[in-house]
Amino acid sequence: MGSQRFIVGAARLAISASALLMIVHGAAAQLSGTTGAPGGGVGEVPAAPHSDTTPPVNVEEFEPGTATAILGKRVRDAAGKDMGMVVDVLVDREGKVRAAVIDFGGFLGVGSRKIAIDWDLVQFNPDNRDAPIVLALNRAQVQAAPEYKPGAQAMKIVAPPPTPERSATAGE
Amino acid sequence: MPRGEPMKDESGGGEQRSVGRGLDWLNLFVANIQTGFGPFIAVYLTTQGWTQTAIGLALSVGTVAAMASQVPAGALVDAARRKSLAAGLSILAFTLSALIFALWPVPLFVYLAEVLHGFSSCTLGPAIAAMSLALAGRASLGLRLGRNARYASIGSGIGAALMGACGYYVSNQAIFYLTAVLTVPALLALLPLSHLDDWRGREEIARPPQPTPVLTLLRDRRLLIFAGCAMLFTLANAGILPLASTYLTKRLGAGASLMIAACIVLPQIVVAVLSPQIGRLAEMRGRRRAMLLGFLALPLKALLFVVVTNPFAMVLVQGLDGLAAASFGVMVPLITSDVAGRSGHFNLSLGMIGLAIGIGGTLGTPLAGWLADGYGGAAAFGGLASIGALAFLLVWGAMPETRPAEASVP
Repeated sequence: MGSQRFIVGAARLAISASALLMIVHGAAAQLSGTTGAPGGGVGEVPAAPHSDTTPPVNVEEFEPGTATAILGKRVRDAAGKDMGMVVDVLVDREGKVRAAVIDFGGFLGVGSRKIAIDWDLVQFNPDNRDAPIVLALNRAQVQAAPEYKPGAQAMKIVAPPPTPERSATAGE
Repeated sequence: MPRGEPMKDESGGGEQRSVGRGLDWLNLFVANIQTGFGPFIAVYLTTQGWTQTAIGLALSVGTVAAMASQVPAGALVDAARRKSLAAGLSILAFTLSALIFALWPVPLFVYLAEVLHGFSSCTLGPAIAAMSLALAGRASLGLRLGRNARYASIGSGIGAALMGACGYYVSNQAIFYLTAVLTVPALLALLPLSHLDDWRGREEIARPPQPTPVLTLLRDRRLLIFAGCAMLFTLANAGILPLASTYLTKRLGAGASLMIAACIVLPQIVVAVLSPQIGRLAEMRGRRRAMLLGFLALPLKALLFVVVTNPFAMVLVQGLDGLAAASFGVMVPLITSDVAGRSGHFNLSLGMIGLAIGIGGTLGTPLAGWLADGYGGAAAFGGLASIGALAFLLVWGAMPETRPAEASVP
């Protein structure tokens, strides 16, 4: 069973569209609320009604190329073939991102298929805004993956191949 | 040909011919436009960073708007003296809706665009049917509707190819600009149809001196049975293509796109070929025969999907959908016209049938998904085949012949 039971569809948490920034180079995550694009400067700090008692909002800057929004980004497989796009992110009870939900196949929206892929198998390239997200899986592996279905039953996520240290920690 | 009399042969007078041509092109371009508003919207909004929940909400807004609009929109078109104006305004609403999707994909505006598109779809369909009735008259409406369905399916096929290519080579957003641009030729095709508004004789068909009370009409057994048949038909049919396409994606991965495109375009080709024959069959041999043919093709298609798993064979089976769609597409306005064509509530009645179709279509896709999740693909197709067979039996056992006595084909 493990912690998968507690993984919640990110949509259910109030993470708003396009607001999810991924963490890169150890920077802390923040929600790009009203302050604009990542790395786009400080922006306006909302004026607090009681400025003498409430501390001002702390603003952290992401330099361009250190973070990127991922919902709706194109995904490719290890061989560079188009694999659809990221439509959702799964987080566990601690709020740690566990998997990306990918929607692929279909034609003009008909017949696509969703699969969830472990976060460790998803590679990002925030340096280049137009660069696709790359999966550490080949086409056959993606095809063999079980369909992702949110709901009461256990969600199936494509996990990395077990390594000795991984299986040791997974057994807890 | 005298003005007051509906013509039987569209190769007749020059004015009628240009009106007929206009109607052909109108059907083609409207079908073209509608392709852009399909399930593709979900893909587009995802690329705009929308969450799945938000997309589901937006699409539900569209569904509810379309369902709620059916009957009132039909009544509105009944009341409109100039059907071509009603059609023109509906198409302009499509233009606006497409531009909103392209330019402001934010929730409030997307809801607005969905409502706008839902409502104007409900006025445009009946307006086109009313103009067809005014042009062809009741005696040869079947032939005209066959032509309508032919050009509409050519439009859908071209639309799917054009927009698929546009999404692949340009961008998803460009599809909505393309959709907006395609409303211009649709409006141009409408120009010769404005003559229809002046034809006194046609006007009498659409708006007789003494309209039947709405309640009497809506209690008409033929209309109610047909609404039931239409609902069961779409309930069985709506989920088949998505389900089959999902299986193609499962088998072929991302490479399934081309096969799914074939599954969408092949039936359109079949419809384009068969629709005029269906219209002719309905006029010569009766509505029941033409209807039973289509209603038999549906459960047959679903049953074949139980056993056929080869991707190419699946595309061929989907070709049967063309026969079902051709029959259904011609029969809906034709039977409604048989029953309500002279009542003064033709469009309202079409709206009622549209509502039945909408309910079937809305429930059909989740039903197919639920059956497949719970009982597997074969059982799902089998279940849908049973519903289709039920629709066939309802037509066979309960649906009376509605062809008017005076109907004849030269």
